[in-house]
Amino acid sequence: MNANRRVLLFVVYATIIYLIASVVAAALDWRWMPARRINLISDITQHYRVEESTENDSLSNSDTTSLLPIAIPLKDKVSNFNLYHKAHFITNFNVDTNSVALERFIKKIYELKNGIKTKIRIAYFGDSMIEGDLLTQTLRKLLQQMFGGYGVGFVPITSQVAQFRTTVTDNYSGGWQEENFKTDGVKDHLYLSGHVFHGDGDWVQMKDQTVKDTTAILLKNLLCGYVSHPVNIMVNNSSLAIHPDKIFNCIPLDKSKSTSIKLSVADPALPVYGISFESESGIVLDNYSFRGITGIEFSRIDSSFLSAINAENPYDLIIFQYGVNLLFRPYDKKFNWYANALMPVIKKIKTCFPESDFLLVSTADRAFRYGGQYQSAIGIDSLVKVQALLAYESGSSFYNQFETMGGTNSIVEWAAKNPSWANKDYVHPNFRGAEILGQYFFQAILTDYEKYVRNKK
Amino acid sequence: MFDFESFFRQFLYDPKSPLLFNNGFFVFFFAVFMSAYYLLRNNFPARKYLFCFFSLYFFYKASGIFVVFVILSAIVDYFLSNAIYRQKNKRKKKWLLICSIVFNLGLLVYFKYTNFFIATCNEILQTHFNPLNILLPVGISFYTFENLSYTIDVYRGQFVPVRKFTDYLLFLSFFPKLVMGPIVRASDFIPQINKPFEISENDFAKGFYLIVSGLFKKLIISDFITQNFVDYIFDDPSRYTGLECLFAVYGYAVVIYCDFSGYSDVAIGIAKWLGFTIPVNFKSPYQSKNITEFWRRWHISLSTWLRDYLYIPFGGNRKGVVRTYINLMLTMLLGGLWHGASWNFIAWGGLHGLALAFHKIWKQKTEKLFRTVHNTFFINALSVLVTFHFVCFCWIFFKAADFTIAGDMIHQIFHDFDLSVFGAFFNNYKPVLGLMLLAYLLHSIPDDFADKITGKLKKLPLVYYIGIFLMFVLLYGFFKSSEPVMPIYLRF
Repeated sequence: MNANRRVLLFVVYATIIYLIASVVAAALDWRWMPARRINLISDITQHYRVEESTENDSLSNSDTTSLLPIAIPLKDKVSNFNLYHKAHFITNFNVDTNSVALERFIKKIYELKNGIKTKIRIAYFGDSMIEGDLLTQTLRKLLQQMFGGYGVGFVPITSQVAQFRTTVTDNYSGGWQEENFKTDGVKDHLYLSGHVFHGDGDWVQMKDQTVKDTTAILLKNLLCGYVSHPVNIMVNNSSLAIHPDKIFNCIPLDKSKSTSIKLSVADPALPVYGISFESESGIVLDNYSFRGITGIEFSRIDSSFLSAINAENPYDLIIFQYGVNLLFRPYDKKFNWYANALMPVIKKIKTCFPESDFLLVSTADRAFRYGGQYQSAIGIDSLVKVQALLAYESGSSFYNQFETMGGTNSIVEWAAKNPSWANKDYVHPNFRGAEILGQYFFQAILTDYEKYVRNKK
Repeated sequence: MFDFESFFRQFLYDPKSPLLFNNGFFVFFFAVFMSAYYLLRNNFPARKYLFCFFSLYFFYKASGIFVVFVILSAIVDYFLSNAIYRQKNKRKKKWLLICSIVFNLGLLVYFKYTNFFIATCNEILQTHFNPLNILLPVGISFYTFENLSYTIDVYRGQFVPVRKFTDYLLFLSFFPKLVMGPIVRASDFIPQINKPFEISENDFAKGFYLIVSGLFKKLIISDFITQNFVDYIFDDPSRYTGLECLFAVYGYAVVIYCDFSGYSDVAIGIAKWLGFTIPVNFKSPYQSKNITEFWRRWHISLSTWLRDYLYIPFGGNRKGVVRTYINLMLTMLLGGLWHGASWNFIAWGGLHGLALAFHKIWKQKTEKLFRTVHNTFFINALSVLVTFHFVCFCWIFFKAADFTIAGDMIHQIFHDFDLSVFGAFFNNYKPVLGLMLLAYLLHSIPDDFADKITGKLKKLPLVYYIGIFLMFVLLYGFFKSSEPVMPIYLRF
């Protein structure tokens, strides 16, 4: 028997039933998501909006007993909170947008540019967005080109991305014991990087790949914690006796044209943080990345240790870039609890580094799949606002990275570019995207600097 | 509310939503086409015009203005093939064939490889040519090969060219296979055009099985694993541990198989329902015991095309041992390049070429040695495992955006492998791993299983078919609206 009629009947009946079901579901405005996604007439009746899908709002953090109301505060007549929206712009919320935001830092780089030999330290804190020296390598390079200085800055003994970081070649033995923000019961102080290492006959060999001038004298300093007794370490196969008797120590290991160094540690009592590669004067930019964190983790580092770091290596600018790890659930919109938790951390850091300007950088864009389509996290605006509020309330400066990269859905556009600027996790700009972000950031600093130069005239 | 403007816009090409088998629009498209086709089933010319019109409209909805290239190449090849056939002068015959090859390959090379050549030139010669703004017409790789095989077959005297242009246009534009294959041979297809529309109960059941299982492979398994796991690991392997990277490779092996074979199955199934038989394109390729067998089971319409129109014209194995291996390598390198314009695809083809050559030698040298142990379960399982892992290794180059990423992937798998994170990995990726396991289980089903299923299916009343289909649609809805699986950090 010819079954061609069967094909026809199947196709016609299945289509009619499917169509009727779709019309009924649309007419009743049935919001059950699986049915909405397969509704045959959805394209011509309704346009799915992310805002509608707030049924999971109850999932968001219910801790909204905020000390910081999310209303636009009007602190005084000379400040304007709304300036936080501005892209490509560092603001200290001063209504006079011709005034300099990072006053102390910009003054120092101006002096450096005008011949005063001084060392300017920048600490760039961040999560996986700056892992592997992404973004910071571009910012460092551009700042050093413009204002002087060389060297890659702080390098931890090892890291998850050590093999992929292009600014440093890092080889090490396998025995280093490592503890970090995620380890329970750490006895020693964790450094700003969130890590501490102990070697027992272990070695590390590093080469700074950023220094191209073969005549440049490069300082290599060991950053380590307290140990009660003198310790012998090996530097480039020669023995060196050291006695790190402060809670934080910066010990010169080598000062030469060589861009590489080998360090061996035999005494596990010595808490080792890493090695800093820097010039005598000029810009030093340290990358402190720790994946998966929000910045609250710095509450684990106590004030006395932070002050000890400041005594050895005082920072002139501290940049704080977190946020994307708060956006781990697609429907979260309330982040007041974050403001409450982070404010004491910011205050502590500001107190312990009194000479430093503090710059809070907003989260970059991140997207989730809403109804089959990637779109910016619905909570991203409120998170950026909370971050701006933290800067505003703590008297810090703010840089809106989200708006700078293009605002809503920019990460989706970046991931779709060819070649792409972002990964398809819709979280991380890749090395191309990070370079763009680094250039944008440098331009924003330069804008601030030019205002200083103009005002001076 | 009903939106008239949106309604009319549905009939136009939308670059953001090109027509595929999973668009709602396709349901209507197919229902209207099927009804009209059934009504006109006994009027062969009208039926053909209808089919051509719907096929070209399908192509327009899938790729917009590029539909003109299908029509243009159909016209050119129709006239050239007839001219080749009529031409008695061998030299002129050859020139006509060369015209056809230059025209077809010219189009393909221009659209697919111009920017690749510019980039390669810039890299090697340090030139600074800007890449051109060229979009790749959908399906061009497939219909170019169909055009070529047609004119070459005519030239070889193996095939008498069709006299009616619509026959040729339908062969080229036949909508079920236009976008992603299989690559159909004229000698298989054209004789079926002017046959009565007759299908058996078994064809109906087999078509249904192929369509639903093909959609399941493509829309549920492949899309879910790609979006929730494979894509972001392959984008930046350096952020993930070796364990995640290894599973991403296994995941991609599932994805590429389900994607490709799923689409082929749907095409073959729809064709079956319309009274056309298209040969099977994938035969459980990961069950292969060696790489030669893999290429007999993987994308069969391509591998046989490469054999008949590249390997054999190069000389095949008729010109001595060394030439045989050179021909094999050349065929596979070009076969790699056919998949995409990048060195990664060439490397992928090259690796397969080397493996095929190695297997040829291995077979010659060890045939006697292994004669007694060849068919033990252990040897078979080991052979399948080794072949599968080699194929997976090659997929790394196929999927990675460039050699750096492929290198990172391999580095992570071999140098950063840590089983201690398995618990956390398993917990986070349970749904993905579950689907991967299901895909491998489905893949390990014996080849004759489909026949058994269709044997049972054909006895069912129509209402069961409709029920199964609607349940599948609902399942698709579940997967489409499921919460995405987020990557997590396993180590700090």
